[in-house]
Amino acid sequence: MKGIEPGKARKIMSERLNTIKKAVINRKRKEIEGLVDGAIEAGIEPGRIINEGLIAAMDVVGAQFAANDIFVPEMLASALTMKLGLAKVKPLLKSEDQPSRGTVLMGTVRGDMHDIGKNIVNMMLEGAGFTVVDLGVDLTLEKLLEEIESLKPDILGLSTLLTTTMPEMERAVRVIGDKGLRENMKIMVGGAPISKAFAEKIGADGHGSDAGEAVELAKRLMGE
Amino acid sequence: MSALYKGMKGDRPPVGNPTSIACHDLMDLCGISFPEAHLNATAMAELALAGHELIGFDTVMPEYSVDQEAAALGCNVDWGDRNRMPDSRHFPHEDFSDIAIPEDFLEKPSMRVLLDALSILRRHVGGKAAIIGKVMGPWTLSYHMAGTQNFLLQIGIEEKEIVHRMIRQLMPATVASARAQFQAGADVVVLADHATGNLVSPRHYEEYLLPVHQELTRAIEGPLILHVCGNCTDRLEMFADAGFDGYHFEWQVDAKTAVCKIGHRMCLVGNINNPEVLYQGTPEDVYDQARYAIEAGVDIIGPECAIPLSTPIENLKAIVSAVHEGY
Repeated sequence: MKGIEPGKARKIMSERLNTIKKAVINRKRKEIEGLVDGAIEAGIEPGRIINEGLIAAMDVVGAQFAANDIFVPEMLASALTMKLGLAKVKPLLKSEDQPSRGTVLMGTVRGDMHDIGKNIVNMMLEGAGFTVVDLGVDLTLEKLLEEIESLKPDILGLSTLLTTTMPEMERAVRVIGDKGLRENMKIMVGGAPISKAFAEKIGADGHGSDAGEAVELAKRLMGE
Repeated sequence: MSALYKGMKGDRPPVGNPTSIACHDLMDLCGISFPEAHLNATAMAELALAGHELIGFDTVMPEYSVDQEAAALGCNVDWGDRNRMPDSRHFPHEDFSDIAIPEDFLEKPSMRVLLDALSILRRHVGGKAAIIGKVMGPWTLSYHMAGTQNFLLQIGIEEKEIVHRMIRQLMPATVASARAQFQAGADVVVLADHATGNLVSPRHYEEYLLPVHQELTRAIEGPLILHVCGNCTDRLEMFADAGFDGYHFEWQVDAKTAVCKIGHRMCLVGNINNPEVLYQGTPEDVYDQARYAIEAGVDIIGPECAIPLSTPIENLKAIVSAVHEGY
C-alpha cells in the first residue's frame, strides 16, 4: 500500500482480512471471490489471507458447530465459501511460503456413498496446508491398496456414516496392516457411528469426532 | 398394535423392528441374501418372515433399503450385494428442476416388489405378527433427487424457496406409497425422514418439515411411526406435534428422557445402540440395554436403526430374551 502511512495501511489490511473472515462465517459465497481478489490487489500476502481470513473464519465456524450453534448445512456452506476463496489465493503461494504439512489420502469405505463430512474435513485439511487426495465414496479395498502403494501418503483418512458399513472400515484397516502398508502411514477414522473406542478396537491411529478435531489429529499424527 | 396406541398391556412389551434387522447370520439361516431380497417379492417376504420365526421378533418389515421410492422416481439405484447396501448412483434433479410423480409410480418394479411382499406377509402372518411397511418422507427423497450435500447446501445458503418447492413436490410420492402399503397389508407404516439430529437443527425441522409432516399425518390414514436418526432430544416435542402415532429413536436419545418428554403423547420404539452394543457388544450388553429401555417405559423394544450386516444373531436374540422377562 504505497503512499499510505504504515499505521493506516495496517488498519486497512486488518479490515479487509476481517471482512473476508466474516464472509466465510456468514456463508457469503457470491461475495468471497471479489473480497479475496480485492485483498490480493491491495497487496496483502497470500499466507495472511489464508491464515487470518479464511482459516481464522473456519476456526470460528468449527467452534459454532461444536457448540451446536450451527449444523451441517451452515458448516458446509462456510467450508465451500472458504474453498472458493482458497482457490483464488493458493496459486499465488510460493512453496517456501507454505510447504505442505503432509499428504492425506481420504475416502469413504466400500458400500457407503456418504461424503459430506469427509468433504468438509478435506476442505479444512487443505486450508490448514495439507495436500489432500480424495478417492471419493464406495471405495473398494483393491483401489485403496493401489492408491496407497502409488501415492505413499503420510496419512490415510477413512470415513463411514452408516453403522451397516462399519465392518468394512475394520476390514480395510486390517488388510492394510496385513499388507505391511502402515509402516510409514498413519490411519485416522471418522464418521457419525465411529467412536474413539471403535477406532482403537480396529487399530486406527486416531479418531476425530468433527472436522476441527480431524485437522488437529492430522497435525498430531504428523508429529507437530 | 395395542402398544402403538398405548393400549392394553400384556405381560411384556413387543419386540419390533421398524428398520431392517437383515444380517448375514439371518440370511444364511433362511437362504435368502442381498440383493435378491430387494428385488424379488417372495425373497423379500421370506427374509422378513425369518426375523419373526427364527429370532422371535413380533413384527415383520420387508424393506431393507431406503431406495424403493427413489428408484421409482427415476434414481439409478445400485442394489448392491450381500455385503453392500443399495444406493443411488446419480441424482436426477440436482438442478432442482420440477419433479412430477409418474402416473405409474406404484407399478414401478421397486414399488411393486414391496407391495407384493407386504401382501405375501399378510397371507402368512396376518394376525400373528404386526406387519410394518416403510416409506421415505419428502426430506429423504430430496436427498435422493438432488444429492444430500447439494440439498443441505441450499439450506445452508438459505435458498428457502428451492427447498420448500422440492419437499412439496415430493409429498405426493410419500402419501401414495404409504397408502398403497396399508392397502397391500401393512398394519403400520414407518415414515423415515432423515432430518437427522446433529446434521440439521431443530429450527430447520420446524421451518421446513413440521408443517409438511402435519399434512402427511392428516393425509395418510393408518398408524405412522416416524423414524429420524441421531440425537433428536432437542426436537422430540415437535415430532409429537406433527401428529405421528409413534417415534422410532436412537440410543443417543436417552430412553428415560424420551419417555418423560413425549411418552404420554406417542408410542416410543427403540432404542438399542447399533454400533457399540448390537454390532460390537455381547448378548449381555444387549440384554442390559433392552432392560434399561423396558424399565424406562419404551413401548416397543428393538434396534435403533438398520443394523450392521455383521451383527451376530445372538445379539438380536438377546433383545427377545430381555423382553420375554416381562415388564
